Amino acid sequence: MSDATATAAVRERSSDDQFVLRWSSREALKHAVLIVGALIVLLPFYVMLSYSFKSPSEIMTNTGGLIGLQEPFRDDYCVKLGNAAEDCMVTPVIYNYTTAFGKAPLLRYLFNGAVVTASIFFIQVLIALPCAYALAKLKWWGREFVFSMVLFCLLIPVHAIALPLYIMLSKLGLTNSYAALVIPWTISVFGIFLMRQFFMTVPDDLIDAARMDGMNEFAIIWKVMLPTAVPALLAFAIFSVVAHWNDYFWPRIVITGNRELFTPPLGLREFKGDADGDNFGPMMATATIIVTPLIVAFLIAQRRFIEGITLSGMK
Amino acid sequence: MARSRAHVWFVAPAVTLMFVILILPILIAAVLSFTDYSLGNDGAQYVGLKNYERIFTRSTYEKMFIATFTYVGVVVPLSVGLGLGAALLINSLKRFGDLYKTIYFLPVMAALLAMAIVWEFALHPTIGIVNKTLATGCGTVLEHWAWYAQGCAKTFPLWLTDRNYAIWTVAFIGVWQGFGFNMVLYLAGLTSVPRELYQAAEMDGARTGWDRFRLVTWPMLGPTTVFVVTITCIRSFQVFDTVEAFYPQGGGPSKSVYVMMFAIYEKAIQQNLMGIGAAITVVFLGFVMFLTLMQRWLVERRVHYS
Repeated sequence: MSDATATAAVRERSSDDQFVLRWSSREALKHAVLIVGALIVLLPFYVMLSYSFKSPSEIMTNTGGLIGLQEPFRDDYCVKLGNAAEDCMVTPVIYNYTTAFGKAPLLRYLFNGAVVTASIFFIQVLIALPCAYALAKLKWWGREFVFSMVLFCLLIPVHAIALPLYIMLSKLGLTNSYAALVIPWTISVFGIFLMRQFFMTVPDDLIDAARMDGMNEFAIIWKVMLPTAVPALLAFAIFSVVAHWNDYFWPRIVITGNRELFTPPLGLREFKGDADGDNFGPMMATATIIVTPLIVAFLIAQRRFIEGITLSGMK
Repeated sequence: MARSRAHVWFVAPAVTLMFVILILPILIAAVLSFTDYSLGNDGAQYVGLKNYERIFTRSTYEKMFIATFTYVGVVVPLSVGLGLGAALLINSLKRFGDLYKTIYFLPVMAALLAMAIVWEFALHPTIGIVNKTLATGCGTVLEHWAWYAQGCAKTFPLWLTDRNYAIWTVAFIGVWQGFGFNMVLYLAGLTSVPRELYQAAEMDGARTGWDRFRLVTWPMLGPTTVFVVTITCIRSFQVFDTVEAFYPQGGGPSKSVYVMMFAIYEKAIQQNLMGIGAAITVVFLGFVMFLTLMQRWLVERRVHYS
């Protein structure tokens, strides 16, 4: 509570340009409400991080504060393998994180996640950018029809049609492959819509000048339009990467059993499936590792991220 | 304008994919919903409206609709309201507003599946931090609250496995995850409210903060609200990660958390009942498309772009 009042000690510029420290109870009340909210929001992050540091007994008894005492404990599994008890003493934080990487091929999952999200984004751009350019800057028969098709497709959430997509992919024998993870997301009508709106604002003169210089339409897209669209593309990239790194529903459906193809959320889910009492620490370590890349990127480039994630609201 | 035929090359891939990945599946789902198709059994029978009849008569699906609409009915108003509240508070702060914004946005970035597993842990009846924290309040003034006293005397709720609490707990996690997103949209909306309007309102006699909100802020946020409500609705309809993480089998205590996406997954993917899965898909798409069309209609009617 003292934090709240302290932060509410607000500097205000008074009329004769002096800084005055003023305590405002209204301001303090606002901070109090927001701090309570922040504590609830942060609670699971605290639990996740804290438990990824602690030993099983500290987790069970809920002791040890944020990072635990880091007293070595006996790894029973190691003892079961026939090692002497004194060789099996492990430090909780090291045990949790090494087990996270050792028990399941977590690095492989992270790699899969990176490959899948990167492929999805590049294919989306490759498909959407030329289409958006043609819709915004070229005149051709059927343009209105294609644009209304885009507007119609904006209504369809891909998750909702997962079942027919799954049937189609399994008829093609493509389930349990990278292709299955990527194909449904290759077309982003939202990306087309967004880029089209952006290209509408690019002056025609720029394109005409490029044509005068003898550039063909392909070159115009990649050498003229692409560079002008970088801010919008960046926002779209963040939008796309966050959605697909965190996606669980679709991978869950098309990847069955083959660990080699697991994305990070699937890996964590399987970990949870066979976790017993001793494995909560490593499980929380896995969760931390999966969640960290995006959170850190977000903290570094907040403005861009918020722009990207809320992109869908910019219509 | 170019007279080349380049546009064909630019548009053809996108149009083909739109048709194959987005439109064709809807048609397939519509057709399959009238059959008893299952994978590996190609002799599908036409069953007429039987699948739909089941959805609207069997008690399992009644529970599915109740769970889905309860979830949507809780998550949409709460996460929109909290999003707006947080945005207004943060916007009126002199300092540290950005800090709260960052914190409230964190859940939007984190993989929901991972956070669901953490929540399950935090809500664990015996070793979870939530009930342990509640227990520390026993013996204090809080015990005057009957619910609290009962928790102290016996046990605090089994949040996720008690059927009286399960759907609300899952909905709470939905709110926790989503309101930061709405907050950011509202903050963006607030920056576009012209300052002069507040001055004008004040001259017209709007003295209190509530008057200013009612007369200026809320109407000006109309377009944002339409959008925020729609997108929150669509997202909440699609809830799956938390439900699957907590209840891999069966959709929670007495199927009280048996939401539609989970039903599609269970029927079609786990039990290979493609016909019924397709019928739920069609009903689901109906809801979602209706909502989006409503939004577009509202936007076209009410919103004026400057």
